[in-house]
Amino acid sequence: MIELTPEAKTRLEQYLTRMRSALRGSRAVEAAEVEQNVREHVDVALAEASGPVNTERLEAVLAQLGPPERWLPEDEQPWWRRVASRVSSGPEDWRLAYLTFGTFALGLLLLPVGIGLVFFLCACLMARAECELLASRGETLGARRWLVLPAIWLMLLGIAAIVLVVPAMGFASLGLSDGNLQLVGGIPHAEPETLERVRIETGFVATVAGAWWLVFSLILALIVKPLRAFFLPVTEHLGRKHALLLALIGAMVGAIGAVLLFAIR
Amino acid sequence: MADAFYDNWTTQVRKGVLELAILNTLSGGPLYGYDIVRRLGDVDSLVITEGTIYPILSRLRNEEYVESYIEESSSGPPRKYYRLTPRGREELRRMNQHWQQLHEALGSLRKERKR
Repeated sequence: MIELTPEAKTRLEQYLTRMRSALRGSRAVEAAEVEQNVREHVDVALAEASGPVNTERLEAVLAQLGPPERWLPEDEQPWWRRVASRVSSGPEDWRLAYLTFGTFALGLLLLPVGIGLVFFLCACLMARAECELLASRGETLGARRWLVLPAIWLMLLGIAAIVLVVPAMGFASLGLSDGNLQLVGGIPHAEPETLERVRIETGFVATVAGAWWLVFSLILALIVKPLRAFFLPVTEHLGRKHALLLALIGAMVGAIGAVLLFAIR
Repeated sequence: MADAFYDNWTTQVRKGVLELAILNTLSGGPLYGYDIVRRLGDVDSLVITEGTIYPILSRLRNEEYVESYIEESSSGPPRKYYRLTPRGREELRRMNQHWQQLHEALGSLRKERKR
């Protein structure tokens, strides 16, 4: 057994801690066995040394052994180390994909405290940057779609839900407040908790929602190009036909609402 | 760019043949870890970071291609020796055969291009 100076002993223990950490999670390799081999390696390599071995001499042996983080092939490393490795040293397009997903996941976690929306927006912008980067190289997203597209999809669905539902609900709740229904076309104010009240309220909400979707379909037809460009590649096939479809749905829902309000009494 | 490609390629090749090299080193008889590292280190550009050998040895032992035993040493503490198991010897035979086929196939490709 060789004798190490206290500094060299500390340095060796630090190195072995790093090694154990690097091998943790590998099912095929036993860290204890590798540690025993490394200790033996250091012992044999420095066997000729006279007197306690200092840090400088130990460092030369450890340099030959190399950084333990590089000892395992990538497919033997635990998934989180592979992700970290790709983020820190992988090609730019993969790094951006992992960062996008990380920011997106953080956005989900922080959504209850509000700041999550900022992370969602950042994730969406990074996802778009990734798509542009690959498009400029003539490449497709491939497997990266699972890391990149959720941010764009969620942002698009969130905005669509807000734009389609919130104004309609706002107008409807305004109209349904006490007495207002009577002002709108002389619709009688129904008694609470009756089937009549349910009919009138449902009819009114449907009419307002249908009318709003009709109006919004016109706006959508006007902004379809910038909208498509912003949410590419998710909105790749978005066109005026979708605005027309929304107008048709709006007209149908509005008509159903009107029937409930005026035809069935 | 070309250097990066070449470096990456040689790294991949080295990683791919290290198991074969270790098993071949052990085909001559039992060796302890440091000795295996030294012998492989003598083969030019095969081993860049010596530590890489030890996880491979552990994996080969887990897969029962090699087995280990402790033996007293006259010049220091007891050493951990590794030797091929019958299974490892058979696997090595197959691996060497495959390597030979690959080598010959690549050689014949080169010859065809020269014609």
